[in-house]
Amino acid sequence: MIHDSIIRDRLVTGDKTASDVTRDIARPILNNPSTAWKVGFTLSLIFLGIFGVSLLYTLFTGIGVWNINKSVMWGWDITNFVFWVGIGHAGTLISAVLLLFRQKWRMSINRSAEAMTIFAVICAAMFPVFHMGRVWVGYWALPLPNGFGSLWVNFNSPLLWDVFAISTYFSVSLLFWYIGLIPDIATIRDKVKSKLGKTMYGFLSMGWTGSTRTWARYELISLILAGLSTPLVLSVHTIVSTDFATSVIPGWHTTIFPPYFVAGAIFSGFGMVATLLVVARKVMNYENYITIGHLDAMTKIIMVTGTIVGIAYLTEFFIAWYSGNIYEQYAFTNRMFGPYWWAYWSMMTCNLIAPQVFWFRWARTTPWFIFIMSIVVNVGMWFERFVIIVTSLHRDYLPSSWVMYSGSLTEIGLFLGTFGIFFTCFFLFAKFLPVINMAEVKSILRNRE
Amino acid sequence: MGILDKKLSLRDRNKMLIGVWEDEDQLMAGASEIAHAGVHIHDVYTPYPVHGLDRIIGARRSKLARIAFFCAVTGLTLMTTMIWYMYVHDWPMNIGNKPVRFTPSWAPVMFEGTVLCTAFGMSFFFFWRNRLVHGIKNELLDIRQTDDRMVMVIETTDGMDEKAVFNMMKNHGAVELREFHNGVQTVL
Repeated sequence: MIHDSIIRDRLVTGDKTASDVTRDIARPILNNPSTAWKVGFTLSLIFLGIFGVSLLYTLFTGIGVWNINKSVMWGWDITNFVFWVGIGHAGTLISAVLLLFRQKWRMSINRSAEAMTIFAVICAAMFPVFHMGRVWVGYWALPLPNGFGSLWVNFNSPLLWDVFAISTYFSVSLLFWYIGLIPDIATIRDKVKSKLGKTMYGFLSMGWTGSTRTWARYELISLILAGLSTPLVLSVHTIVSTDFATSVIPGWHTTIFPPYFVAGAIFSGFGMVATLLVVARKVMNYENYITIGHLDAMTKIIMVTGTIVGIAYLTEFFIAWYSGNIYEQYAFTNRMFGPYWWAYWSMMTCNLIAPQVFWFRWARTTPWFIFIMSIVVNVGMWFERFVIIVTSLHRDYLPSSWVMYSGSLTEIGLFLGTFGIFFTCFFLFAKFLPVINMAEVKSILRNRE
Repeated sequence: MGILDKKLSLRDRNKMLIGVWEDEDQLMAGASEIAHAGVHIHDVYTPYPVHGLDRIIGARRSKLARIAFFCAVTGLTLMTTMIWYMYVHDWPMNIGNKPVRFTPSWAPVMFEGTVLCTAFGMSFFFFWRNRLVHGIKNELLDIRQTDDRMVMVIETTDGMDEKAVFNMMKNHGAVELREFHNGVQTVL
C-alpha cells in the first residue's frame, strides 16, 4: 500500500509541483546563459586550449617530450588515465547500483553523475591512446584483419582487456545516459520556442509521448541496463587494476588490487560528484533538488570508501612484510620513506585520514567544507595512482636502472588540459540538457513509501 | 505479432474520449473505476512513470528480459568464436610455450562483448517496440503531457455509454474533458 512517509525527510524540498520542476530544471536551457556559465565556459575553453597545444607539441615532436624513461615508462599519463577512469565510476554507481538498491535519493544527481562518467572516460582515453606514440596506428589495438599474417591481438593481455572494457563502458554508459534523457528531452521539445531547438530536441526525443506502455518498458530496460552496468563498472576498474597486478613488479603484483581499485574509483568519483554538485546547486539554484540530505549521503559514501581504501593500503604493507619477499618489502618501505615519501604521505593524509572528518554531522552538511574536502579527496586519489606507478617503477630489481621521475611541462599541460575537456563538455551539457532527471524527480515529489 | 506495438499510434482510430488530470492519485482512482466498469482504457500519457497504471490499462508484461537474455547468449557466442578463431585457429600465438587453448584469460573480453551486445541489442528492440525513432512525428494530445498533465485516452466502441465514462472522469478530478476524432480535438 502506498502512503506518505512520516519517517523519511522529503527528497525534494520547497513544496515543488511537477510544473515547478520543469520550470526550474529547464530554465538554463530555455534562457540565455548566465554570467557564471559564461565565465566558467571561457575558463574551460582556456584549459582546452592548453590541452590542444600540449597534444600538438607531443604529436609533432614525439613522445620524448614527456619525461617518461626506460624505468618509469608509465608516468603522469597512466596516472591520469587511472585517475579519470576512476572518477567516471561514481556516475555508474549512482545510476545503476543505487537503482538496484532502490535508493531514491539518486534521482536528483544521477543525470549529472552519468554525464560526468562519459566525459571522464573521454579524458581517460586520451592518455593510453597518445601514450602509444604513433597514435595513427592506434587501430592496431583492435582485432582487425591485417597484412601481418594475419597477426591478431593478444587476448591474454590486460592491456587488450582494457581496450574492450573501456570502449564497452563508454558505449553502454552513453546508451544508459541517452535512454534516461529521452523523456526529459521530450519535455524540453515541448517547451522550447525556437525552430532550431524544436527540430533538435524533436529529433533527439524520438517521438516520445509518455505512454504508460512505453513507461512500463522503459522502467524495465532501465533496470536491466542497471543490472548490466553494475558488473560492467566493477569489471572496468578490475581490469584497469590487472594492468598492474598481472605484472611482476614489486608493489603491483598483488591480489588485493581489484577490490582496492574499485573502492578507490568510487571514492574519487564521489569526490568529483561532490565538487560539481556543491557548485551547481548554488549557481543554478537547485538547493531544493540537491539537498543537504544528498550531500550527507554522498559524504557518507566518501567516508566508507575512503576507509576501505585506507585499509587496503595497510593490508598491502602487512602482506609485503608477511610475504618475506625482500623486493616487496623494499618497494613498500621505499614508498613510505624513499624519495617520494611526500607523495605517499599526501595520499595517506588525503585518502585515509581526511575523510574521517565525515564522522561529524557538521562536516557532512556544510557545503563549503564538503567542497574543500572533495578537492582533497581528488588530490589524494591522484597521488595514489602516482605512488603506485612511479614508486614501484623508479626502483626495481636492478639498482643500475634506478631513476627519478617528474612530469614535464607538456605532461602537466596535458593533465590540466583534460580538465578543459571535462569542464567544456560539462558546461555544454548544463546549457543544452537538463542537469537533473525531471521525470524521475517528479515521481518522488510526494514522499511515498 | 510484429515487434512494433501498434497500440502506440493514434492514427486511424475510432472516436477517442480524453480526460486530463493534474493529480496522480485522482488519476489512479479514476482509471481504476473506469477499468472496473468494463471500459478498456487505450492508454494514459504521463510526464513520469505512474506505478500500477500499466496493470490497470491491461498492458502485457514486457518480454524485454527474454530478449536481453537472447542478446547476451548471442554476444557470448560471437565473442568466444571470435577469440577462438583468431587465437587458436588462424594464428596461434606462442607466449612462453603455453598451450594455445581456452583459458580464463579470455573471460574479460567475452564478458565485455556479452554486455555490449546485450545492452545495444536490447535497446534496439526497445526502440523498435516503442516506436521510438529519430525524427518521427510525435502524436501529442496535450502539450503539457510531458510537463505536469496526465492524459487518459479511451477508444469508443459500439454501445459505449460515453456520457457515463465522462462522468466517471469528472468525478475523479479530471480537469478537462475532450473528444478526439479524425485528428481534431474538441474540448467539452
